[in-house]
Amino acid sequence: MTQILFKNINAKDLHTLKVYEEQGGYQSLKKAFARKPEEIIEMVKASGLRGRGGAGFPAGLKWSFLAKNVFPRYLCCNADESEPGTCKDRELLLKNPHMLIEGMILCSYACQIETGYIYMRGEFHDLSFIMDKALEEAHAKGYLGKNILGSGFNLDIHTHLGAGAYICGEESALLNSLEGGRGEPRMKPPFPAVEGLYAKPTVINNVETLCVVPYIVNEGAEKYAALGTEKSKGTKLVSVSGHVKKPGNYEVVLGTPTREIIYDLAGGIRDGNKLKAFIPGGSSTPMLPADKVDVGYDYEAIAEAGSMLGSGALIVIDDSVNIVETTLRLISFYMHESCGKCTPCREGTRWLYQIVERIMQNKGQLEYIDKLEDICGNMAMKTFCPLADACVSPVVSSIKHFRSDYEEYFKKIPVSSV
Amino acid sequence: MSDNEVTLTIDGKSVTVPKGTKLVDAAKRVDVEIPVFCYHEKIGALGCCRMCLVEVEKMPKLMTACTMDVMPDMVVKTTTEKVEKAQKGVLEFTLLNHPLDCPVCDKGGECPLQDNVFKHGSPDTRMEFHRHNNAKATALSPVITIDRERCIACQRCTAYSERIEQDRGLVMLNRGFHNEVGTFNNEPYDNRFSGNVIDICPVGALTNTDFRFKARTWDLTNVETLCAHCGCNCNITMGTRLNELMRVEARPNDAVDDGWICDKARWGHQFVHSENKISIARENSVGDGKPTSFPVLPHDCAGEDAAGKAAEAFKKIAEEHGPQSVGFIGSPYATNEENYLYQKLFRLGLGSNNIDHKVYQDTPGLPVSHYDVEQIETSNVVLLIASDPTEELPILDLRIKKAVTHGGTRLVSLNDQTIALDKYSTQSVQYKVGGEALAIDALTNGLARELGESASAQGDSGISADDMKSLVETVRSSMKICVVYNPSALSGEAVSGVKRLLKMIAKVPTMECGAIPAAPMTNAVGAMDMGLLPDFYPGGVPMSDEEEIKKQWGENAPTATGLSALEMIARAEKGELKALLVHRSNPVMDFPGGAQVTEALKKLDLLVVHDMLETETAKLANLVLPSNGPGYDEGTTTNIGGRVQARRKALQADQAPDWKIISLMLNVLGDETDYGKVSDVTEEIARKVSGYQQISRRSVGKTGCNRDSVISADEQASAKPVQAGTNGSLRLRIATFLFAEDKVLDASSKLAHHFQSSTAHFNEEDAGRLGIQDGNTVLLSAENVNLEATAKVDNRCQPGGVVVPRVSDGQRVNGLISADGNTAWVEVRKV
Repeated sequence: MTQILFKNINAKDLHTLKVYEEQGGYQSLKKAFARKPEEIIEMVKASGLRGRGGAGFPAGLKWSFLAKNVFPRYLCCNADESEPGTCKDRELLLKNPHMLIEGMILCSYACQIETGYIYMRGEFHDLSFIMDKALEEAHAKGYLGKNILGSGFNLDIHTHLGAGAYICGEESALLNSLEGGRGEPRMKPPFPAVEGLYAKPTVINNVETLCVVPYIVNEGAEKYAALGTEKSKGTKLVSVSGHVKKPGNYEVVLGTPTREIIYDLAGGIRDGNKLKAFIPGGSSTPMLPADKVDVGYDYEAIAEAGSMLGSGALIVIDDSVNIVETTLRLISFYMHESCGKCTPCREGTRWLYQIVERIMQNKGQLEYIDKLEDICGNMAMKTFCPLADACVSPVVSSIKHFRSDYEEYFKKIPVSSV
Repeated sequence: MSDNEVTLTIDGKSVTVPKGTKLVDAAKRVDVEIPVFCYHEKIGALGCCRMCLVEVEKMPKLMTACTMDVMPDMVVKTTTEKVEKAQKGVLEFTLLNHPLDCPVCDKGGECPLQDNVFKHGSPDTRMEFHRHNNAKATALSPVITIDRERCIACQRCTAYSERIEQDRGLVMLNRGFHNEVGTFNNEPYDNRFSGNVIDICPVGALTNTDFRFKARTWDLTNVETLCAHCGCNCNITMGTRLNELMRVEARPNDAVDDGWICDKARWGHQFVHSENKISIARENSVGDGKPTSFPVLPHDCAGEDAAGKAAEAFKKIAEEHGPQSVGFIGSPYATNEENYLYQKLFRLGLGSNNIDHKVYQDTPGLPVSHYDVEQIETSNVVLLIASDPTEELPILDLRIKKAVTHGGTRLVSLNDQTIALDKYSTQSVQYKVGGEALAIDALTNGLARELGESASAQGDSGISADDMKSLVETVRSSMKICVVYNPSALSGEAVSGVKRLLKMIAKVPTMECGAIPAAPMTNAVGAMDMGLLPDFYPGGVPMSDEEEIKKQWGENAPTATGLSALEMIARAEKGELKALLVHRSNPVMDFPGGAQVTEALKKLDLLVVHDMLETETAKLANLVLPSNGPGYDEGTTTNIGGRVQARRKALQADQAPDWKIISLMLNVLGDETDYGKVSDVTEEIARKVSGYQQISRRSVGKTGCNRDSVISADEQASAKPVQAGTNGSLRLRIATFLFAEDKVLDASSKLAHHFQSSTAHFNEEDAGRLGIQDGNTVLLSAENVNLEATAKVDNRCQPGGVVVPRVSDGQRVNGLISADGNTAWVEVRKV
């Protein structure tokens, strides 16, 4: 299987500059510096690399949107990895920090950026030491700082730890948080490419996205584009969690059937149970029932099946579970993480929680299902950022695919309370 | 249609609006109301409440009209089924945990949430759970109480704090369902503009502690009038009930206040019910403030009768001792009508030009355009001279901040003390206390040299050559400049220097130059225009223009220059001035000279005080006439930007209004004009005063009318070097403090928590020499007056000066200045 990001991932001391260089690290810089910055952007465009943070926006296109001739510009690496189920960036940061640095240098060179930030979630406190050490090493070796490898290009990268909010993974909230403000999403337009960090043009990319760039520069866009499906190029890290025998991060070529990921890579369902449902791309994506397990793991196929690839967190649910429990847990997460800015999200997430909780206490009524759907309708697409949509998605998809799980609770209603 | 305009369709109606207009504002133009909670046109888009969702063709989802800029050929629908469903949904969420305590809520009856629910909401609720309970009454400050249960977290108030006040005093705390409006570390939300959040709160969450539960809004009589404090003349609504002032709210007028008022406007009008209010005319036995034992006037004498007696007494003295023996000290706080009539009374009735209203030098008119405050936003450079808007004219402070942060305006200041707005200025140049005349001349000369004109040599103002050079360059290259100067903070003849500077700036090619004379008193500009001056008739007509004077005011109009206020006091002391009428002024406290003023006033044969509140001066008066004052009176005032606006009667007074009392006195002195109502006086002003031709009750209306410029006299004098002090003494600068404890803002005021004790601000150089440290108690002495203050070594001024904010009447800081108003050298020692 093609391994780009996880090639040698378990090599001893890969996090040190010495080992990373022995594995061929930082070779891409010279190649890049020999070209014009625009050529690198073209290369990334040609590779078909799409943002791995969740939205899947073409990376090269994003870079080319930067406001012309406005400087300074900033690069923010989104290492907030806060989508439940996702733990792929963590592994990259932990084991291969230099790969990210190399990717950031390439991106900064392509976009003429001289300052980069790695915004890490507060829980990555330990990783920030590894990252800082790696930055220090890279700096000492001349990969960072002034006039990198004699190219005349300067770059400094800093780490920044968040204070613990899911919403700070949203790019504009990340910028607010990085500036020292409250983690609330910003109004768009202006988009970060025009007015981002400190009101300057800013590129924001996920850790995984940036880590792919050295491969593209080293091996060429064509080689990367040859992998995957027509519109979903390359490989993707998938964090498989839930009721599988071998949960963990796996790198797969986009388009690999989900069945293969669950049954071959992750070893199948635990305890001899059967697959009931899976959430293909992190908790904010709609869940899919077991009969969709043959869907190809790529952006388009999953969208067609009614969900999203998202951040690549495959959450597997077996038949020992009542989906309503899962739903309540997910709502609870979003209720806790709502920033409170938009009324439908702030009030709606709590109301959904109250209703589903009451259903689980066997105190619900059949009409509650319609009401839940109606409330979801009032929340979906009505808020500033997609957090409300993320909360709505498990509710709507669970009712769609597993209505009978809800109905089970109503069967248990004591006669007196009807 | 220009490039800067966009045409779009809203609910089938075509509308053309400027580029960058938000959809919600564009809709208002064609009478389409899009409901909002968080959006406020002065604060800008937030996108929090989601109430304004509308359908825009070609957009996949509903859009918030408050965050969306108009685009060409956009087709917007605000009443489709989809939109109505969304509005219902959002309102349901908004009301989900909002208490239904409208029957006792202060906002009831004027609540946007109520209104929107009536218009767009569902008649019942689907909420089956217990509503969330939260704190019902938490004090954010002594004047604002928050009801957290009612808060819908729209963030309007916090956005106001961030974008308008720009101090982030009020912020959102916590997150999600638990977010709430609060302050850092639970400190009080206490600044000069905090009260505006009460007006903009779309629910009853932020409440006026004073007004809480006092009256239902529909029981209030709302009168559109003006604030009676500083020279901004912000528009306010006074809500009264049963002839009692209940609350004051902002009444947005872009040309004046941009929709905001300061806390002094909101809570500083309680003096209308002060127990110190002078409500009847009385005679005093001089010196003790108690009624005389053998009054000529009956005990409950009406103001009109007493006024008649006063006029007769003045007439008698003027006939006996000549017109030079009577004088009038008027007020920059009185209305134009009152001031106009009073100057007419003394000039035509008594033949005297002994008329004044101030203790500093100034002349009417400007050699350049008199800019209104809106011009600040379109100026490239705003130059502050001796002005501290934050303390003196708070709403001007907001306007400047807005221009600097949201427009392209640069702020530069030429001042003798550091001010709060320095934070926003690109250059703050400081001259020595007392060195304003030299500093201003240095700037004029610098410009003159740039323009190839001759420039005179100059003394040392304490400004480095580099600073001055860069200031000259900023001014010269400004294209459009607005000079904001405070004449009352300029000593000696510095104000003529400002006018010479303005003339010089106007000579710069392609320069647009205007000025705002920013004295902090309510109607300082109006008092100048109305000729409350010993050397100018109304409209800036100088005594030398005899022809014009005779034409306007008749053959008998006096043309000899009269005595200034300070000269009148000096003559009174010598016994040469026999009778003085003081209108709404308190020389004992506010004039330089301290005890000397009291002694002088005691020597008068006749002192008549016409005032609204008991003052130290009223205690010395032989006769006290009641003045109704703001809240009760009617008339016009002219703000710092030359805008004439109407003050209206919100409360019924027992006594005749001031203008009526003055007109009766005029009648006694032979003037036959019968003014039936105050607008008759306004009409006469329009006829007689240059610049006021357009002013009438109708033209002034609710939002005012700019007067034309008045005649400006030539300025010739040039600056004298700073006088040296006696060994080791420091030059005193009295600074303005907005919340000073005086007659109007007394101990019973809702703003008493702002009162401060005396402080003296030193430069570290002087402090080192005098052995003073931060927090020491120091004694400042001059003119046999001692003032105790806490020392602050904060380099607020250059070495050789000391800044003392005027924090209360009791401080008697004006007593430190010599009676001629010129020297202000104080001895300082540590106690």
